[in-house]
Amino acid sequence: MRLVVDLNKCQGYAQCAFLAPDVFAMHGEESLIYNPHADEEQRERLARAVAACPVQAITADGLDRTDGSAAGPPQEASDGR
Amino acid sequence: MPHASMMRQITDFANRADPYPVYEKLRGTPVLHEEEGGPYIISSYYDIKALLHDPRISSDAANLTAAGDDELARSEETGGLPPSFLRLDPPEHDRLRRIANSAFGPPHRPRRIESMQGDMREIVTGLIDGFGDAHEIDLVDQFAYPFPVTVICRLLGVPREDEPRFRAWVDPLVASLDPDTRQNGDADFQQTAQEARMQLGMYLAGLVEQRTKEPRDDLLSDLVNSRGPDGAMTMMEVLSTSVLLLIAGHETTVNLITNGMLTLLRHPDILRRLREEPGLSVRIVEELLRYEPPVQLVPQRTCIADIEVRGITIPKGSRIWLVLAAGNRDPERFEDPQRFDPDRGDIQHLGFGSGIHSCFGAPLARLETQIALSELARRLRDPRLVEDPPPYRPNAVLRGPRHLRIAFEGLD
Repeated sequence: MRLVVDLNKCQGYAQCAFLAPDVFAMHGEESLIYNPHADEEQRERLARAVAACPVQAITADGLDRTDGSAAGPPQEASDGR
Repeated sequence: MPHASMMRQITDFANRADPYPVYEKLRGTPVLHEEEGGPYIISSYYDIKALLHDPRISSDAANLTAAGDDELARSEETGGLPPSFLRLDPPEHDRLRRIANSAFGPPHRPRRIESMQGDMREIVTGLIDGFGDAHEIDLVDQFAYPFPVTVICRLLGVPREDEPRFRAWVDPLVASLDPDTRQNGDADFQQTAQEARMQLGMYLAGLVEQRTKEPRDDLLSDLVNSRGPDGAMTMMEVLSTSVLLLIAGHETTVNLITNGMLTLLRHPDILRRLREEPGLSVRIVEELLRYEPPVQLVPQRTCIADIEVRGITIPKGSRIWLVLAAGNRDPERFEDPQRFDPDRGDIQHLGFGSGIHSCFGAPLARLETQIALSELARRLRDPRLVEDPPPYRPNAVLRGPRHLRIAFEGLD
């Protein structure tokens, strides 16, 4: 899975580094280091990190599972109610 | 006056089950000051967000007392201990929070929370198995309450054999923080809470002493043995930080889990999807933090300078209420804000606050609630609400059901 962090948006909340410590790490208190090609086994943790980012700075390709719409940002609010 | 003031309507217990119509009215006057000496109530998303990041807004308990605090603002006293970083401004706040963070998360302890997943699952499984053959449970007492306190015990490093004792002290302590219980509780109740606080303090002090001599892989050991540029915490600082983690991380998580299950049972289609697809819990939890946040408002901030918001000058020394739950449903910010929709692409909620005081335990609360809700959805067969709305606790700030009775057809 490929991922990109928009470092203009990133505010150093470090939520991603809590939830996916093998993909994101903090260097000092505020700078973020990440692996732009995360392993398949990190899928669940990566999905948690993407959703938990308070400024939504993380974009990940290939996070969608084929069987559901859980991880992908839909165009518009859909079913639910 | 023909109508009760908005302030009264927010605190009025009659509005607890559904405070959102009150918040909608409130947003009609985004900066509201109803009475001399009363708080300025801020209810729109962008104003709240800006003020949460504004250094002219103080969280210092001493400033608040000087401004003449009220019943809502006092609800987090811990009695006898120095103020925790929740109630301090920089630089004291920053020093204590940095030390606490070096024991809790990246960069120093990047895996501490992630590595608790196994423990969390085990606790959740144990609690659900404990429902046994029952076909009706109270989710609050049988699940949402015991879960977070057990997690905090493991995080701090309380030995497992001490967990029951520890919980027996925490329960009356947490109950005594509720403004209503504090006002109406009898002398015996107050006495019990006071003793629990003492015993908990003494127990923690003993544990801190042990960990100073023989550090282990736990949060308490790290707090007392921190060797970073900020040094270690003093014994009193460790105690007030531990009590903060206990209290702030307890009631709020209980309410997030309970509000979560209540919301899912009111949206059965989403509950069904979660049962099939546990990964959906991540989005569900974020949307819950917007739609039913466990901390409805922040009543403890004070202006330390004149501040202008939407053309209105809030004078230095005034108290401010930031109504997070109103901002979370602000149509200026969110499309169709009254709808619970985990599929919305943009959920930058105020549920964990923002700025320097943004929720310290957020990564822990997220993981706990994701696991709790996905496991409840997976294991309860055909669950439904026994009463809707459920009975609520009196607290308007930390809002949530006192009981949540759920009927179901057995466990999977």
